Amino acid sequence: MNRRLKPSDIASVSDCLCHIGPGELTPLPSPYEDFNQIALSPLKPEKIKNIETSLDDTVAIGIPKPATKEEDEALVRQFLSGLKKLFEKENNWTFLQPLMLSMEHCAKCQTCSNACPVFEMSGRKEIYRPIFRSEVLRRIYRKYLKLGGKITAKLTGDLDLNWTTIARLAELSYRCTLCRRCAAVCPIGVDNGLINHEIRKLFSQEMGIAPKEIHEKGSVQHLRVGSSTGMNPMAAKDSAEFIQEEMEEITGYKVDIPWDVEGADILLLHNAGEMLAWPENVGAFAIIFQAAGISWTMSSEAAGYDAVNYGLWYDDVQFSRVAIKHADIARRLKVKKIVIGECGHAHKALTVIADRLLTGDLNIPRESAMVTLEDIVMSGKLKFDPGKNNFPVTLHDPCNVVRAMGIVEPQRNILRKIAPQFREMTPHGVENYCCGGGSGFAIMSGYNFAEWRNLVSSRKKFLQILEAFHDEPQEVPKYVCAPCSNCKGSIRDIINYYHAEERSSLYYGGLVELIVNALDGMKKPIIRFGDKPSWE
Amino acid sequence: MGFYILTYLCIAVFIGATGCLIYRQLNLPLHVRWEIYPVRHETTAKLAYGGSYMEEVNWWNNPYKSSRFNELKYMVPEILFLRGLWKENRSLWRVSFPLHFGLYLMISTFGLLLLHTCLTLWGFSAIAAGGAVNFLLSVLIVSAGWSGLILGNIGSLGMLYRRLTDRELRDYSSFADYFNILFICLFFLSAFVACLSGDPFLEGAKAYTFGLLTAGSSLNRYAPGQNVIGMVTIVSASLLVAYIPLTQMSHMFMKYFLYHNVKWDDLPNRPGGQMEVAIKNNFKLKPTWQAKHIGANGQKSWHDIASSAPKEMK
Repeated sequence: MNRRLKPSDIASVSDCLCHIGPGELTPLPSPYEDFNQIALSPLKPEKIKNIETSLDDTVAIGIPKPATKEEDEALVRQFLSGLKKLFEKENNWTFLQPLMLSMEHCAKCQTCSNACPVFEMSGRKEIYRPIFRSEVLRRIYRKYLKLGGKITAKLTGDLDLNWTTIARLAELSYRCTLCRRCAAVCPIGVDNGLINHEIRKLFSQEMGIAPKEIHEKGSVQHLRVGSSTGMNPMAAKDSAEFIQEEMEEITGYKVDIPWDVEGADILLLHNAGEMLAWPENVGAFAIIFQAAGISWTMSSEAAGYDAVNYGLWYDDVQFSRVAIKHADIARRLKVKKIVIGECGHAHKALTVIADRLLTGDLNIPRESAMVTLEDIVMSGKLKFDPGKNNFPVTLHDPCNVVRAMGIVEPQRNILRKIAPQFREMTPHGVENYCCGGGSGFAIMSGYNFAEWRNLVSSRKKFLQILEAFHDEPQEVPKYVCAPCSNCKGSIRDIINYYHAEERSSLYYGGLVELIVNALDGMKKPIIRFGDKPSWE
Repeated sequence: MGFYILTYLCIAVFIGATGCLIYRQLNLPLHVRWEIYPVRHETTAKLAYGGSYMEEVNWWNNPYKSSRFNELKYMVPEILFLRGLWKENRSLWRVSFPLHFGLYLMISTFGLLLLHTCLTLWGFSAIAAGGAVNFLLSVLIVSAGWSGLILGNIGSLGMLYRRLTDRELRDYSSFADYFNILFICLFFLSAFVACLSGDPFLEGAKAYTFGLLTAGSSLNRYAPGQNVIGMVTIVSASLLVAYIPLTQMSHMFMKYFLYHNVKWDDLPNRPGGQMEVAIKNNFKLKPTWQAKHIGANGQKSWHDIASSAPKEMK
C-alpha cells in the first residue's frame, strides 16, 4: 500500500503500511548507481508468521500477535496504563517536563521534517516523518486519557486505538535514531526525538516490549554477565592480555593495561565492543596513556569494563541501574575521574543524563576522552610525525558527543595537529548527520533490519562521506575517523554493504588509532590500509 | 457595559490560564538533562561553534559560566523575527513572521493605549489635547496599530492559505488548527475593517481602553459596539485573549520553558548543591511500572529499584 498516509492511517487495515520500492530512495552517485534500484529483501514468511510486520518492509522488535480478542484488549489496556504513567511524576520524573512541553506546543509547521535524514533518504515516506509518530501519540493521549477526549477528538484529530495501532507504533519508535536534528531546528523547541524516546520507554517499562539486542542481550546481559557483549570479567582480562601483545608488536615495547588500580587518577571506561571488534582502539588508548605517563586503570568488575548504557535508548530504570553501577565502581576504586572512551552514547549517558541521578560520593567527575586526549596531544609530552598520517581523513561527529554534549573542538584540534589532509564533512559539528546506527540501530540486525539501516538510516552518512572525499582519486586510501563504537559499527557496515573499500578505497577507525599512527618511535604503523588485522 | 464585562472576564481567563500553565511548569520535578548544543548562554568562544564547558579538562573545577548577553542576542531576534524559522523553513516564515509580528504590534498598541489612558487619568498636562506627548503617543498608536493590522491580516490569511494548500501542513491539520487561524483572521479582519470604515486614528480603541480602566466611563462620545464590525472586533479580541493560553498557541510564551528548562538546561549537579536535594527527593518517588524487569510494586522507591538487579537476573 503506497498512498498518501495521515497519522490516523496507522490504525488502518493493511499488510504493509509503507513500502519502499526500487528507485524510491535518494539516489547514490557513481560508482554506486547499481544500488539505486535495490529494495529491501522480503521478510522470510516462516520467520514472521506470528509477529506484527504490517508497518513497513522491516522488523526491529518482532512483537508477537495476540492470540485472542481478550489478549488483544488486555494489551490495549496495558498500553493506555503505560501512557498515563508517562505523565505522572512518580513514574516519569526523569522526563516529565520535557515530555509535557513537547506534547502540548507543536505548531505542526513541519520544519523538523527537512532535518530528518531517515525521512529524507527514504524518499520522504510519511511514516518516517518526525511528527508522524508524535502526532499519533498526541491523538491517543488526548482521546483516551484527557477528560472528554472522545468528543474533542473529532476537533483535534481522531485516531482509532487497536492492537495494530499499538504494535505499529512500537515498531515505528525504532525507525528514528534519536539523533535529535529535528529538535535542534524546531523554532519552538519541540523535541520529536524525545517523544519517540518516551514511546520506547512506555513499551519497555510497562509492557516489557523492546528489541532483544538492546534489552535481553543488552542491558540485562550487561548487568548479569558484566558486558552487553556477553564477555565476563575473566574474558575481558584475557582480551586485554591479547591486546597488550598486539600492541607490543606495534610499539616495540611492553604495553601494560592496568586493572583495578586503587587511587588511580583515571578510570577509563571503554565500550567493551571495542575489545572484540576493534582491539586496536583499546590498545591505542593504552599506548597513549602509558607514553604520556598518565595514572590510569580499567576495572575488571562486572559492568566496570563496559561503558555502554543501552537504557539511554529505551528504559530509564535500566539506565539508572547501569549508571549507578558505573559510578559505584569508580567510587570504590577511589579514582579522581572517569574518562569515557570512544563511545558516543556512553558519553551522554554517564556525563549528561546521569548527572541528575548521581549524588553524594557517587557523583564522581566524568570527562570525555576527546578532552583528555586533546590535553595529552597538545601538552607536548608526546612527539608526532604527522607525515605518517598523510592520507585524506574526514571526521564523523557522533550525535551524543557533539549535539548532545557540545564536545566539538577537542577532536578537531587533535586532527589538525596529526592529520595534514583532514577535511570536514558538510554539515558537521552540532549540525552533523547521524551515522544511521544511533539509538541501538548499530547493534540491531534481526530479520532484515541491518539492510534497512544500510539502505535508509545510514544513507545520508554514506553520501556525506563520499562528498567529503569527492576530489580524491578512487585508489587513494581514505580514512573516516569515527570516535564512537556504534558509529564505527555503522560505518563499517556501510563500507561493507556498498563495497566502498573496493570502489572508493574507504577505510574507517577511531581517533586514538590516528594519534598512535602519528606517534614518533613506533615500530610498525597501527593503521595498515587493506591488511587484515591479526585478530580477524 | 456588557462588552467591558466580557473583556474583564477574558483577561481574567488569560491571567488564570497562563498562571496555571506557568505554575504547573514551576512545580514539576527536576528532570534529567536533555540539552541540545549550541546552548545559547554559553560563553562567546564556545558559542561560536556550539561547544560546551565540558570541553575543558577537569571542567568541574571551573565556575559555571553563563552569558545572559549571548542568550539575549539569540532570543531577541528569535522572538521578534522568528530567526529559527527564517533559517530552517523560509517559505513558512513568509507568512508566520507577519502573523506573529502583527500580534506583537497589536499587543504593543494595547500597551500604548493603556499608557495613554493612564496619563490621561493621572492628569498629566503633557497629555492635554494638542500637547506634544499626546501627539507622539497618538502617532505611535496609529502607526503600531495599522502596521499590526496590515501584517496580521497578511500573516493570518497567508497562514490559512498555506495550511489549506500545502499537503504537508494540511495532512496534519485538525479542525482545531483551522479554527485557531480563522479565529485570528476574524480578529484582524474585523479590526482592520472597523478602522478603515470610520476610525483611522483608533479613537474607538482609545475610548474603549479608557472605559476598561474606568469601569465604563467614556473618554468621548464613542461608545463601544456602535456598529456590528466594532462589536465583532471587541468580542473577537477579548475571546482571543482568553483562548490563546488554552491552546498550543500558548507556545508564544511557553517557549521560554522549552528553551530554558530543556533545550538549554545544562546546569551541572554540583556535590552538596540544591540540585542534589531535588534528586534525592525524586529518588524517593514510588513508580508503578508493570514490566517484570522493573520490579516495581508501588512500595519500592526509585532508589530501591535502581539499586536492584532486573528481575530476569533473579
